[in-house]
Amino acid sequence: MTARDTILDALRRNRPDPGSHPLPPPATLGDLDAGRERFVASLRLLGGDVMERAAGEPLAAAIARHFPAARMICAAVPGVDGAIPVQDLPDARAADPVDVAVVRAAFGIAETGSIFLSEAQLHLNALAHLAQHLVVLLDPAQLTANLHTAYRRPEFRTARYGVLMSGPSATADIQGVLIRGAQGVRSLSVCFDPS
Amino acid sequence: MKDKRIDHAGAAAAFIADAPHLAFHDERLWDMRQKRDAQMHLLPEWQELRTLASQIKEHALANLPEYLEQFEENATRNGIRVHWARDGAEHNRIVAEILQARGATTLIKSKSMVTEECDMRPYLAARGITVTETDLGERIQQLDDQLPSHIVVPAVHKLTGDVARVFATHYGTDPKADDPRQLAEAQRQAARPVILHADAGMTGANFAVAETGTFVVCTNEGNADLSATVPGVHIATLGIERLVPRLSDLGVFVRLLSRSALGSPITQYTTHFRGPQDGGEMHVILVDNGRSARLGMADFWTSLKCIRCGACMNTCPVYRRSGGLSYGAVYSGPIGAIIDPTFNERKYSTLPFASTLNGSCTNVCPVRINIHDQLYKWRRVLVDHHQMPFVKREIMHMAGKLMGQPRLYRAAISGTETALGTLPRFALYNWLNPWGRHRELPHPVKETFHAWYRRNRSAPGAADTEKTKTDPTKTGRTKDTGQ
Ligand code: SF4
Repeated sequence: MTARDTILDALRRNRPDPGSHPLPPPATLGDLDAGRERFVASLRLLGGDVMERAAGEPLAAAIARHFPAARMICAAVPGVDGAIPVQDLPDARAADPVDVAVVRAAFGIAETGSIFLSEAQLHLNALAHLAQHLVVLLDPAQLTANLHTAYRRPEFRTARYGVLMSGPSATADIQGVLIRGAQGVRSLSVCFDPS
Repeated sequence: MKDKRIDHAGAAAAFIADAPHLAFHDERLWDMRQKRDAQMHLLPEWQELRTLASQIKEHALANLPEYLEQFEENATRNGIRVHWARDGAEHNRIVAEILQARGATTLIKSKSMVTEECDMRPYLAARGITVTETDLGERIQQLDDQLPSHIVVPAVHKLTGDVARVFATHYGTDPKADDPRQLAEAQRQAARPVILHADAGMTGANFAVAETGTFVVCTNEGNADLSATVPGVHIATLGIERLVPRLSDLGVFVRLLSRSALGSPITQYTTHFRGPQDGGEMHVILVDNGRSARLGMADFWTSLKCIRCGACMNTCPVYRRSGGLSYGAVYSGPIGAIIDPTFNERKYSTLPFASTLNGSCTNVCPVRINIHDQLYKWRRVLVDHHQMPFVKREIMHMAGKLMGQPRLYRAAISGTETALGTLPRFALYNWLNPWGRHRELPHPVKETFHAWYRRNRSAPGAADTEKTKTDPTKTGRTKDTGQ
């Protein structure tokens, strides 16, 4: 017998009675506030920032103001002057020298301050992890209340790679000290920008 | 079954003797428990989430063959290669075959308890494959040649000086530079080139969704996403019990997982893999390794509901004061004590005795596993299957060692959470629970807290809200006594 059949066979023999363990209907619980304030508070709790832009300020200028030392900026969105388009990176390794990556999230979650990125937004998935800093454009109309409502979004059924990023990378593995900026991005800044 | 029994009591005694490590370990884990409580109190729906999580998992386990087939079908359709492994040896062979067929000699991986179960690293090393753990805590443990001591924070038993020593030896950093920030930065700098040039990447998975063929990885450091997206090959190892039926079920579990584990609302990364990235390949290995047999154990199958949050470990007075390594097993703490014996009953026969049966583990468990009940039932099984005098001597020895510590002893006898309400009296006071040996557990209150709570807060479901949020060993008294 193949491993597959051996395992499935054993499970069929050993399992508890399926009739006594019905599946509860899908749940939507908790706070259903999908507002921007709730999102920002959650984002900050997880170590993310909001990148404010002065009225009429071009995105490239706001980024330059925020990251004065950045040399290589790579954008997965159009309209960032001076940025390298992600389409020009030949492979994942080419994203290693990127100081700031600029992307647009498909949506955000107010409960957790998370933003969703997939290959549709990134083109090169590793960009969101090899870059030192991440600037995320987010349409405030694309906020959803919490994880229950988020999982109704169609992106989860189409993306092959879909990440909910909630603030920058972090670790508390050394004597419990929380360090933001572990191995992935050192900072994550959300810039509200209606699409 | 010739394996030597794990001397938990002896190892724990050594840990207890080291005051700075013991104090930090105890405080750190208790802090995690308190942060978890704070999150719980922010969500009025918390108990409902736990009930749903438990029901979904029990349903998924009772229908596991069908959900595994559905997962396989959907994942395959999305371009994932699905493999099945009966045990660790088969798992390791599959990994080696995938790597060797592609001429891969370097593998970067994020944390996966299943690969620890399979003891994969030495197997691959013997075949010329270099495995680099990329999770900071796991990497520290790999460099120090130790098992993870905690399923969420693998190096929680170490102080900064220990990490500085390990990194000085392996990364050439200054052994006196023990600032956690510098050490974390040293890991980032050491890991980056390895990640960039690795031939393949490996992750575990927290959940797998039958209806879409998705698997989900919840992490904080970004290393799992780097391991999965930088190399062209991604292998994911997951235990067959990770299945949930629907995408909507993730809402329940993701809301519970990090809140229970670390007291944060969500992990920094919650990543959904549904197919290989452009130009890449993706493999999923579904590992049994004793799980299908465990499903047939009437008293113990619900331990398969575990989502590996570690909350039961953080709250356990014995775990906090004996350290994960003293369990001598891949899984430590209360969850380890109820699943390790299914891997090797003799070797891990002492572990179900490393508990005061105070029930705190059961109270915090996000999927409502009756952990303390199972601990007690394991004691009975072990006594039936093994020489009674031997077991008896072992457990008295353990209780003696640990109860020599006044703080721990207070923790032990203050066990006034659910256990006292749900376990029969003989279970608490007979010789199978040495913690109750020296004196009666402080229960004889006229009205239990449970009853009081039910009377005063009559909201439905409120009665099973956790009661004891005060660690009796911190305050010197318990909440339930003294009425
Ligand atoms: S048994 Fe429950 S509390 Fe313990 S790790 Fe598993 S899910 Fe978490």
